[in-house]
Amino acid sequence: MSTIEVKKITKKYGEFLAVKDASLSVKAGEVVCLLGPSGCGKTTTLRMIAGLERATEGDVIIAGKRMNELPPQKRDIAMVFQFYALYPALNVGQNIAMPLHFEKLSKEETDRRVNKVAKILHLTEVLDRMPGQVSEGEKQRIAVARAIVRDPNCFLFDEPLSRLDVELRHSMRGQIKEVLSNLSKATVIVTHDQLEALTMADRIAIMRDGMIEQVGTPHEVFAKPANVFVASFIGTPQMNLMEADLKSFGKGVASVTLAGNAVEMAADPAVSTLRPSKVMIGIRPRAFTAESSAGKSTIPAQAELIEPMGAETLIHARTKLGGDIRVVVPRTQRIKIGEVLHLKPDPKQTHFFGENGRAVRA
Amino acid sequence: MTTTAQFLPAPPLLSPVAHNWKLALLAGLVVSVIAIVLFPARLSLSVVGAMAALVAAAFAVNAYRRRYYGGLLVAPAIAVLFVMNIFPLLWSLGLSFFAYQSNNQSIRFVGLNNYIKVLTNDIAAPANWDALINTGMFVVFTVALQMITGFLLAMLFAKQFPLRKYLLILVLTPMMLSVVASGVFFSYYYDPTFGILSYVMGEITGNQFILMDSKVGAVAGIVFTDAWMWAPFVMLLVLAGLVSVPKYLYEAAAIDRVSKARQFWTITFPYIRGLLMLALLFRTIEAFKLYDLVYILIRGGQDTKTIAYLITEIANEQNKTSEGAALSYVILFMVIVLTNLYLYLANRRNQGA
Amino acid sequence: MTTLAEKFGLRKASGVGEAGWGHTLIVALVSLIYFLPVLMIIFTAFKPSAQALSVPPTLSPTSLFGLIPDQFVFTPTLENFGQVFNRVMVSGNAAEPTGFDVFFFNSFFISSVSVLLALVIGTLASYGFSRYPLKGNDTYLFIILTTRMLPAIVVIIPIILMFRTVGLSGSYVGIIMLYTAFNLAFTIWMMKSFFDELSYDVEDAARIDGSSEIKVFLKICLPQVVAGLAATFVFGLILTWNEFLFALLLTGVDTRTVPVAMNQAVSSGGRGTDWTLLASIETLFLIPVFLVTFFLQDHLLRGVTFGTVKR
Repeated sequence: MSTIEVKKITKKYGEFLAVKDASLSVKAGEVVCLLGPSGCGKTTTLRMIAGLERATEGDVIIAGKRMNELPPQKRDIAMVFQFYALYPALNVGQNIAMPLHFEKLSKEETDRRVNKVAKILHLTEVLDRMPGQVSEGEKQRIAVARAIVRDPNCFLFDEPLSRLDVELRHSMRGQIKEVLSNLSKATVIVTHDQLEALTMADRIAIMRDGMIEQVGTPHEVFAKPANVFVASFIGTPQMNLMEADLKSFGKGVASVTLAGNAVEMAADPAVSTLRPSKVMIGIRPRAFTAESSAGKSTIPAQAELIEPMGAETLIHARTKLGGDIRVVVPRTQRIKIGEVLHLKPDPKQTHFFGENGRAVRA
Repeated sequence: MTTTAQFLPAPPLLSPVAHNWKLALLAGLVVSVIAIVLFPARLSLSVVGAMAALVAAAFAVNAYRRRYYGGLLVAPAIAVLFVMNIFPLLWSLGLSFFAYQSNNQSIRFVGLNNYIKVLTNDIAAPANWDALINTGMFVVFTVALQMITGFLLAMLFAKQFPLRKYLLILVLTPMMLSVVASGVFFSYYYDPTFGILSYVMGEITGNQFILMDSKVGAVAGIVFTDAWMWAPFVMLLVLAGLVSVPKYLYEAAAIDRVSKARQFWTITFPYIRGLLMLALLFRTIEAFKLYDLVYILIRGGQDTKTIAYLITEIANEQNKTSEGAALSYVILFMVIVLTNLYLYLANRRNQGA
Repeated sequence: MTTLAEKFGLRKASGVGEAGWGHTLIVALVSLIYFLPVLMIIFTAFKPSAQALSVPPTLSPTSLFGLIPDQFVFTPTLENFGQVFNRVMVSGNAAEPTGFDVFFFNSFFISSVSVLLALVIGTLASYGFSRYPLKGNDTYLFIILTTRMLPAIVVIIPIILMFRTVGLSGSYVGIIMLYTAFNLAFTIWMMKSFFDELSYDVEDAARIDGSSEIKVFLKICLPQVVAGLAATFVFGLILTWNEFLFALLLTGVDTRTVPVAMNQAVSSGGRGTDWTLLASIETLFLIPVFLVTFFLQDHLLRGVTFGTVKR
């Protein structure tokens, strides 16, 4: 039963709260990413699961057993460190074999397992080399190999791809995902790269300042962000978040004053619960269509900066009140600098956030 | 490298330009050797000094002209070391080929005579070999004891714990004692009548315990004192190594369920191995040099004279200065052999690692 | 929520590599035992001379409320410290100044000057070795290292002769120069590894900004190696402070250092060793080194780490 569960764990360093009341559960075979900016507490949470830090409060439950007091040795977990933590005095093969000493296997069995794992990760040629003599990507694979050579309760990855260049990351992402799916163990990956999280995770837990803001599938956190932070963190280019005054709501259409304009936009029925007040409206850059002329539901903005991105073009536009709007259009649509765009948001991709930053959604 | 030296070609050997240091060096050496051989000590020394100054000046001009900053920076150090170390070394070497006695002025070139005398049958020869063996025995024991103790102490102090700062200084203090004081006091502790050691042993065995009487006892006494004084040095070096191991290696090992013993051998030991060898080298050489401690602890009489004591005795009291020099060169030779052995081993380790 | 090891203070919850009061207790025990001989010396300094040579030897200044039987207790006194500076030199005469104030000054002066001089010259040289490598760099460094390894005996005779000839025997200049040479090898070696660790980027940036080489050295490189400077200073001080052999042979009546004077004062007089006098001199002599080491301890540890763990 390879599962991980943390219940309201907290980590305090003196007065400083690194992690506050975090709760998460990971099923067998599921990959959960802890995603967030630097200092948000994701690595601390991972270390508490690993046993390298002691939770000040809360429970750490692995494979159904509460493990708060147990040291890492007794938790039967495998971890891939950000700096790989390869033993410099041992060669690659010995590094991979290290966790197996505990199981007191015969030499043949150890070798068999090491070779099997080396083959999966394409390390057979470097088994005799020292860690100092292999490339960065190989070091990464060795660290992963060391983790999967055993049969642990779960896997923990601490920013596994952060030290690789873009190309390597791309290929390693795929490799790791493939390896993990074959092993069906609960896995937690810590990363600050949302692309990594979106591609590798079954579910993502977004953290900020020690708290888990939202847990959901990649699709959920993208399409249904729970609050302003998640909305702005996920998705590139960043979602446009604009302040608006909600005037009224009726028949699925909200009347707002946005960027100095009166706009009517289709909105989620839950918006009806909001009194007329200040709200934040979130619209992703790709959720606009540029209309040819002004209308009831368009937002006028003047194109200021055009960034061609290949198949698409990113346009930085400025509203009447001086706010910034990012719009992404297919490259076939030619926009000139200074041109006034009439942007119509897609009602299915318009998010309303209340005064507390929370999404207003049914 | 951020060197900004200009790549001017060095002046040809014989051109009498101000910055031709090669010529200056050559000339200086030639004149110095002639002076040493021909002139009495005082005059030759002045000549040599003048030559050295000349060479130094040539170097300086050369360096400045070629913006050879490295040279300029290094020059004062080299100068001091040369005067204080290299030059006496060379002189001493030269001296060992002569029979020159420190109170009269006659010099006779005797070639390897002194060495032969020293190494084979001299009046003091049995004492020489005895001293050599004593020194060897002593060195082995004291270095071994120091290394073990130092290592154990380092293991204790490797972690952070409350009051660490105050306890560390307690352990470092023995290194700071004057040799005179510790030597005298340990002879007090070992003293048959008043010493605490004999008192305790007396209570236990009922007899007076005279440590310094037997050869074994005497060596043990010196070994213990010396090891006690210098184990902190080894401790510092090993501690440096222990502290430099990245913490995440131990974390990974914990997760990999590696046993403590194995953790030590595969993670910790490689980091401290180099330092242990360094400590070994330093302490071995220092032990060979040991003169001060023995002088005080023994005050002559017993047969545990070490080489160092013997040499000074020979030189000062028996006026056989050059023989003393020859003897010291025998030691130096051994030291050089040891050093090269160490470097060879260290390099081989590094290449293999 | 604590494990057994934590209850005894052997391990701390906050992770690998820390320990609590249990560990402190063990280390304290070991440290005190190790320190004991030194403690005895210090105690002896406080013993009245009658009690110094008693059988059984007296151990403790207080009887700890009767825990220690009286025969082991001595009554502490400060008179020995006065004796260091003023003493009856010839029996029957009045007490006269011993000159130890001068000797202490000599030790201070000679040690600090030579260590500092070595620090300056050596740091400059090691900076040169590190930043402007010459062709025979490794050879030079090896030679420098071996000078440190020379047994004193090998050079002592020529040095004595040299000094006498030039007239440096018994002067400050001579012994200071000698000690500087002693400390140089070690200083260069240590500081070079420090300088080797620095990255060139900041220096190059400064050079591009127009700083002269000297400024780069003073304002950028030097501040980064302060730990090394401190460590080298402490080590050098410890070694020079207690040097006996060369001081014995090369200092004169005016420039004598404390170790030599100590030996003399204690063994002459024909009455056998004056234990309390020796102890009090040594106790006083220990204090400066002790303080310096204590306050620079952190730098010392950091310095040893950086300085030696390279490769």
